Amino acid sequence: MGIKIKAPTFPESVADGTIANWVKKEGEDINQDEVIAEIETDKVVLEVLAQSDGVISKILKTEGETVESSEIIGEFEESNEPSEIKNTDTQKKSKPKKEEKITEEPQSKKANIENKKIAPAAKKMILEENLDTNDINPTGKDNRITKADVIKHLSPDEEEISSSESSVSNGGRPEKRVPMSRLRSTIAKRLVSVKQETAMLTTFNEVDMLPIKDLRKKYGAEFENEHEVKLGFMGFFVMAAVQALKKFPVVNASIDGNDVVYHGFQDIGVAVSTERGLVVPVIKDADTKSLPEIEKSIIEYSDKARNGKLSIEEMQGGTFTISNGGIFGSLLSTPILNAPQTAILGMHAIQDRPVAINGNITIRPMMYLAMSYDHRLLDGKEAVTFLVSIKEQLESPERLLLNL
Amino acid sequence: MFDVVVIGSGPAGYVSAIRASQLGLKTLCVEQSIDEKGKLNLGGTCLNVGCIPSKALLDSSQRYYEANKNLADHGIVVGDLKLDLKSMMKRKDDIVSKLTGGINGLFAANKVQSISGKGKVVSNNIVEVTKTDGSIENIETKNIILATGSKPIEIPSASFSENIVDSTGALSFKKLPKTVGIVGAGIIGLELGSVWSRLGSEVTLLEALDDFLPMADPDISKESYREYKNQGLDIKLSSKVIDTEELKNSVKVTYEQKGKKHEMEFEKLIVAVGRIPNSEEILSEDVNIKIDKGFIEVNEFCQTSIQNIWAIGDLVRGPMLAHKGSEEGIMVAEKIANNHVQVNYDLVPSVIYTHPEIAWVGMNENELKSKGINFKIGKFPFAASGRALAVDQSEGFVKVLTDIKTDTILGVHVFGPAAAEIVQQALISMEFGSSAEDIGLTMFSHPTVSEAFHEAALASNNQAIHIVNKRK
Repeated sequence: MGIKIKAPTFPESVADGTIANWVKKEGEDINQDEVIAEIETDKVVLEVLAQSDGVISKILKTEGETVESSEIIGEFEESNEPSEIKNTDTQKKSKPKKEEKITEEPQSKKANIENKKIAPAAKKMILEENLDTNDINPTGKDNRITKADVIKHLSPDEEEISSSESSVSNGGRPEKRVPMSRLRSTIAKRLVSVKQETAMLTTFNEVDMLPIKDLRKKYGAEFENEHEVKLGFMGFFVMAAVQALKKFPVVNASIDGNDVVYHGFQDIGVAVSTERGLVVPVIKDADTKSLPEIEKSIIEYSDKARNGKLSIEEMQGGTFTISNGGIFGSLLSTPILNAPQTAILGMHAIQDRPVAINGNITIRPMMYLAMSYDHRLLDGKEAVTFLVSIKEQLESPERLLLNL
Repeated sequence: MFDVVVIGSGPAGYVSAIRASQLGLKTLCVEQSIDEKGKLNLGGTCLNVGCIPSKALLDSSQRYYEANKNLADHGIVVGDLKLDLKSMMKRKDDIVSKLTGGINGLFAANKVQSISGKGKVVSNNIVEVTKTDGSIENIETKNIILATGSKPIEIPSASFSENIVDSTGALSFKKLPKTVGIVGAGIIGLELGSVWSRLGSEVTLLEALDDFLPMADPDISKESYREYKNQGLDIKLSSKVIDTEELKNSVKVTYEQKGKKHEMEFEKLIVAVGRIPNSEEILSEDVNIKIDKGFIEVNEFCQTSIQNIWAIGDLVRGPMLAHKGSEEGIMVAEKIANNHVQVNYDLVPSVIYTHPEIAWVGMNENELKSKGINFKIGKFPFAASGRALAVDQSEGFVKVLTDIKTDTILGVHVFGPAAAEIVQQALISMEFGSSAEDIGLTMFSHPTVSEAFHEAALASNNQAIHIVNKRK
């Protein structure tokens, strides 16, 4: 009997996805827990797994089609019983039926391979990779599929993939039109809606990074030895933000309709730039974490993000976000809110600048801080003092210890 | 009016004529060679003075050599061993006449007509045949296939004479020369040198080039050079013959090696520096077909600039090999019959019938490197082959070169027993786009020397069973 293949239940924040790729084709054999299809959402690629052994009988949503949470995307035929039972079953039946059954059994793979000219190594790969021979472009004599054809099918050269790209000539000068990736178009939509739906403005400050630099110089090696993770800057900012958020719970809150939701926890999103676009993994319950724990999660998340391995759960939620444009050299910028959060902190490049301290001009490693906030919920006074509080903690890291 | 007139009955011409006739075309083959009895002598260089007689002598001389040298190891003791060169030559001549006679039979069976005389294209549709008695016959035809082959190159510093001979002369010495000099250590020089060296002549090869067998895979050149030297062939590289002097019963050869002049005396000097196409006097001046350095210019289908005139075999670009000419002959006949057949020039096998044999197909290591292709190497020595050891032919190796990404076999190079036959197996698989893994997944009879090809293919993927695979 046909079993419905459903898209996974998407997390709340994911409205819909597109079928990125049917890993298995119609008629293909599948083992339990094998990946049948991949669905790209605005955040991650979700895998659809086989619930049991069987065969795909029907594909309802083709690649590129939009699917909603738990929507039926295809049909699946369970392989009924273990083969032993099947044999005794067939023996009872009349002869012609038995033959029928025998030819039916390996159908999926055999239909793939029979009546086709396939070189031995190519056949091996096709069976191992469970490929549909119809998808493979044969180049051998008499349309024989060679091993090279299978390898090229599995990892096509880049120029062969970009079929959806089109070159547009602009008065003889080359131009290329490429469809926006799902992630990119989601980012685009969100950014515009945040700008339109919030009363966003930005407050600036600057922070003298010398104390933290000194601290890192003094304890960096010991810290790394002890915790097997480098003592970075980000950890201090997360710690400082958590302290400040505790002092100003409204910055940690979000607007939901006509209500204000105050969150009793500090989940800090840390923006990470990847090849596919910006993603924001969230350090959950950052208020309960120590500095080494925070540094470790940051490293872990950015590795995962760069390899595209972040799960939706890891990117969900967040009550406050820190974005570091400094790693790219930005001196000053205004970050855009990560809705529905109320504020976002922008870190920037550290620069040696002359500053007046106690009436003397000295050179200090300075960083501009920018905090964009939703003026609907935050007044200027709160926003500014919140940022000052972060600044003070960073300039006197002992405040972090004393919860000041 | 004929549909097709083929000029020349060598392996390109006679094959083309037979196929043309099979395809229903009215076909005539023109051949100028006649035997002692005045009968038409079909088969061209290959059958008469090339491939076949040289292989006959290579086999006879190898038997003699083994009886002389190796049989004792097998526990076979022979009495006084004597060389009867006259019988050896007769056996060779018998094989030749059997085969040339065979072509007569094939022509008759396939309704190919033949005519004795020298053919010349006088217009797009007329072939003029000058017979031995001097009479001339003009033959009208829709298509002309030129297949007049090639002849040995004569060099000014060694003009042919009683004791300075070409490859043809070297196949019919009346008595065993004590010393033989060979100009050119190419395929022909090595084969002829092997024959006379095995029979007892002291053989010296003078090669003008600095590298030995530069067209072969570097591993093959290196290992075979060592082996030939062991067999007693004295190969002098970078040695250019600058003068010869005919003495009473010998030839004095002056050659230059690295700026120094040397002299050597040989009873017989064989000039084997290559061959040139027989393209002179086959086209009248009115026939406007371009000839470049003796080669008739043709497109990929062996068609000349005149649509209904074709040229095949040694007359046209590509290696001067009988099998290449035959395949071109087939292609042209099929083309004339409006069929579509195309020669795969990437897969033309080469063989040197020495002992051990050398054979290869596809690209060698140097060619792959110069083309910037990334490749894997699988090598298997015959010393690890049970069959090769059993038959006392364990020198050499099989070398398989494959594409690093797709595993497709790009070249197979063999030095050793039955090299030509092993390469043929590889060639068939390559014609079907085979990967090394395909060969690995194919069953080979045991024990055979072909297993070395199986193992070399496996070795290219570090899966060889009977040798230790190189570390990844």
